[in-house]
Amino acid sequence: MTASILDSVEESKYKKVTDLNPQEEIAPGSALCAGCGGLEGMRLAMKVLGEDTLICNAAGCFTLISVYPFTPLKGSWLYTSMSGPVPAAQGARDALDIRMAKHGLDQKENMQVMVVAGDGATYDMGLSPTSAAIHRNLDFIYFCYDNEAYGNTGFQQSGSSPLGSYTMTSPSTLDHPAGSERSKKDLFGIWMAHNPPYLATVSPREPIDLSNKFKKAKDMKGPRLFICLSPCPTGWGFDPKETHLIAKLAVDTGIFPIKEFVNGKVIHTKRPRKRLPVEKYLERQKRFKHLFEPERRDDIIAQIQNNVDTYWEQYDE
Amino acid sequence: MLRIRLHGRGGQGIKTASQILGTAAHLAGFQAQDFPLYGAERRGAPITAYARVSKNIVLERGAIAQPDILLIGDETLLSDPLASVTEGTESSTLIFINSRHPSPDLKKHYQLESLPVQLDISGLCQKYIQKPMILSTALAAVGVRLMGHIGLHHLLKAIRDELGQERLSADQLANNLKLAEEAFQKVPSFDLEFRKFDDGFSASHLVVLERRPPVDSVPVIFATGNMALRKTGNWRTHRPVIHYEECNGCAICYARCPEGDIRMDANEKPVIDYDHCKGCLICATECPKHAIEIIREVASWN
Amino acid sequence: MELTKNKQMMLTGNKAAAWGARLAGVDYVPAFPITPQTEIVETLSQWFADGHMNGKFTNMDSEHSMFMAAGAAAATGVRVFTASSSQGILYGLEALQTIAGWRVPLVLVNVSRALATPITLEPDHNDVLSLRDTGILQLHAETCQEVLDYILMAYRIAEDPEVCLPVLVNLDGFYLSFTREPVILPDEAEVRKFLPLFKPSQPVFQASQPMARASAVFGGGNYSYFKIQHHLAAQNVLTIYKKVAQEFGERFGRFYDAVERYRLDDAEYVFVMSNSFATKGKAAVQHLRKNGIKAGLLKLSLLRPFPSEIIGEALDHRSKVAVIDQNLAPGMGGIIYPEILKAVYRREDRPEHLLSVIGGLGGRDIQEGDFISILQRLDQDPGDDPLFLFDEKDLKQFDQLRQIAGFSREARVS
Ligand SMILES: Cc1ncc(C[n+]2csc(CCOP(=O)(O)OP(=O)(O)O)c2C)c(N)n1
Ligand code: SF4
Ligand code: SF4
Ligand code: SF4
Ligand SMILES: [Mg+2]
Repeated sequence: MTASILDSVEESKYKKVTDLNPQEEIAPGSALCAGCGGLEGMRLAMKVLGEDTLICNAAGCFTLISVYPFTPLKGSWLYTSMSGPVPAAQGARDALDIRMAKHGLDQKENMQVMVVAGDGATYDMGLSPTSAAIHRNLDFIYFCYDNEAYGNTGFQQSGSSPLGSYTMTSPSTLDHPAGSERSKKDLFGIWMAHNPPYLATVSPREPIDLSNKFKKAKDMKGPRLFICLSPCPTGWGFDPKETHLIAKLAVDTGIFPIKEFVNGKVIHTKRPRKRLPVEKYLERQKRFKHLFEPERRDDIIAQIQNNVDTYWEQYDE
Repeated sequence: MLRIRLHGRGGQGIKTASQILGTAAHLAGFQAQDFPLYGAERRGAPITAYARVSKNIVLERGAIAQPDILLIGDETLLSDPLASVTEGTESSTLIFINSRHPSPDLKKHYQLESLPVQLDISGLCQKYIQKPMILSTALAAVGVRLMGHIGLHHLLKAIRDELGQERLSADQLANNLKLAEEAFQKVPSFDLEFRKFDDGFSASHLVVLERRPPVDSVPVIFATGNMALRKTGNWRTHRPVIHYEECNGCAICYARCPEGDIRMDANEKPVIDYDHCKGCLICATECPKHAIEIIREVASWN
Repeated sequence: MELTKNKQMMLTGNKAAAWGARLAGVDYVPAFPITPQTEIVETLSQWFADGHMNGKFTNMDSEHSMFMAAGAAAATGVRVFTASSSQGILYGLEALQTIAGWRVPLVLVNVSRALATPITLEPDHNDVLSLRDTGILQLHAETCQEVLDYILMAYRIAEDPEVCLPVLVNLDGFYLSFTREPVILPDEAEVRKFLPLFKPSQPVFQASQPMARASAVFGGGNYSYFKIQHHLAAQNVLTIYKKVAQEFGERFGRFYDAVERYRLDDAEYVFVMSNSFATKGKAAVQHLRKNGIKAGLLKLSLLRPFPSEIIGEALDHRSKVAVIDQNLAPGMGGIIYPEILKAVYRREDRPEHLLSVIGGLGGRDIQEGDFISILQRLDQDPGDDPLFLFDEKDLKQFDQLRQIAGFSREARVS
């Protein structure tokens, strides 16, 4: 990006929530749970991206965004399969480019091609197709709503399920007190290693930060990748009204760093000034209940805390 | 056979209620079957569950079109035409409604063919387990009692069996058993007769489909944004109500509503779309001025 | 390479497939390599790079991705070609089933290769027949010429406004893929008259045409509607195929029926075969005829939709019929055999004897002697069990291998 473009980007930045596009790009009425954090993230993203978007979707909760004969979108939608949305985006992107170059399709007919996929589809089954697409420099936006498990099938463990979380396939037992025994994959790191032009984490609790990142990405080319931590009342076990509180605690405890990767550098766009202890986040969710009851598992909590501290040590000034 | 249909919302324990019913019947020596029907909807949307109790082998599967007993856990469903709660009922169908309204009022208000059985089991749930809308135990207890033929001890054993599989503490289990006992005692028993369907079968009217053009042969939707036709307002158990005199127009509620159900009007005041608001209550929680009140939906027709 | 009018050249089946795509004016090729298909994608990649083909060639990361990209591109309005084989078909099966339901036109080539386990290279048809029930249409080629011609016809069928379905053209690995024989390259201008450049007949993705496609459908009745429509569209291809084949024949002088009736008219014995081994069957028929035995061959070309009526009619009054399946469904037998039974069952003049034969697995040759054995079995009551083409030589050779592998009579299991 040239300096002058950067300047104009700076000027047109969102500063307060009333700057957001007042149009809703996703109509209400969908079958998603009340209080779904991922939907809030996608809603804010679509406000920036607008209707000239083709969404290629992976199997997951968000497949229920369009159930025949209904769609909440003003733009286009293609349901694919669990590991199919990225290659579908490739096919659609290639086809649009071919039609514009070879068949005289008007540039006005062009669309932003976007993938919407859950963490299971992203961290696990779809990892290799996505790696390949980034490597091919596919011009697309990837929106991963990360609810840290296979949600649509009833909340089973995925490569994104965090250490110490209970899922339907990683229960906490005497022999396996932690539930999920491994830290979640560092998807940001994995994607970053591909050196994409743009990569960011976003939180539904930070609409301004989120909107500015999508705005920046919208005008770029190549793979632009987003991980949206998506508090999930149903799977995580908290009251739907607390979705934003949980999202905020994820940031304030430092568990979920809000950052972006541009021009080879990681920048934390929202830094918790003083990190809260992780248990402030954990104790409000049923999936971590076994870390506190019947007795406190200080060992596991300390391990989670330690992981967070170790992460931030790299960036402490 | 006795056919029981249960209505509620995802997250209210309706499926577990049907399983307690099934297990209780099984323990009492009957042939039994239970099953839930999930739609595409996630938590909050209407769901239905079924139980069949028979002296002989159950040669039926799937949804129950004509129930002998209808157990309605969530009264708000009755005013939602899409939930089709009373479909397939006759004057002989025994209807139970979880409500604070007296039975004759319910009959009149919902235009039911017969007097329903009424009990405020949410109140009981609040008393024993402090969760007014976790209805599994209470609704099953009511069902067992209405039906008759099954003793309290079988009901309690079934609750222990079924809830034992969830992560409940000993105290919670004990409270559930007390809850079941009270609910069981508070409704009358009808000792229903086991019904036989003997009105024969008639052939279905099969049609020969005509071939339609390809575009009409795949799930394609051109009516963009038509999702709004689905009125998810019926999911709500609680209603957020804005007190405008306390609102400063900061638009936080608008920014935070995942459904996009709040818009800012010309005077920069938020307006809630109650046709679609699912009642997550995020707006009320997030409002910095505490200008949004939470009101329970159930008493909406007083 | 310059194209002159109706030039005849020595081409492999793979090259003929590549020429089919080139002459069809394909816009887009997503690709992933697998033996014995590689020559197709290598050739196309070269042609795109050299500018002989205009559009885009994209190296994908798997067949699943490749078929998904192919389907999405077709849904976005370009002419798509792709190719695979064997394990690649299986790896892409979910995507193939998915895009068939999208009702998008495209052409894919399968170069048949037997399936693991054991992993091997030579052909049989378990790979392509695993797509039997996907609703993807199938044309099976006997010669390199057919490969090219079928691809051109396949685009016409796939893109017919009444159809909009993927069409698969099958050729045998090695026996066709790497075998060179003279192939007539039709004149490009003539091809363009037969197959104009692509113009989508249904709405495709673009900004002015927003739509949701392939959304979830709940309720068995609703689901049934789409499935039945898919069937009706596929069935209707029986009519469309005839029209397209007729037009192709008139323009290029080569006529392809849904089946080929080779010396069937007065035949007493009939071999039902498909793909490249049908050539061997024809040789056997000639040989038998020289020896006074009235033999004939029915070659299956259009496998989906299944031309039941045409097959039934072709086999009327043919008393002894052997269905040679180059595939095996363990626990059942041949895959095509029951389909032929379906075609003849309700016909008054159906064959007396219908024998199921399994041969050519993993590319095992079918020799003249095998055809004699089949005749002998046909003269008896053939029974219901399949006849396996596996002879003493095969057994002896295999036993030598297992000796080397360390098996002996005393081999222990634990
Ligand atoms: C190939 C394949 N395997 C399994 C499934 C079943 N399935 C559907 S949705 C889903 C969960 C997806 O999890 P995630 O990507 O995290 O999305 P979420 O459901 O949490 O929104 C699974 C496993 C599938 N659709 N396809
Ligand atoms: S299960 Fe979680 S992620 Fe899925 S729709 Fe519900 S709240 Fe959203
Ligand atoms: S958040 Fe509260 S104060 Fe702000 S606009 Fe909404 S109701 Fe008014
Ligand atoms: S309760 Fe508030 S935040 Fe939740 S859906 Fe309704 S209006 Fe939106
Ligand atoms: Mg998930």
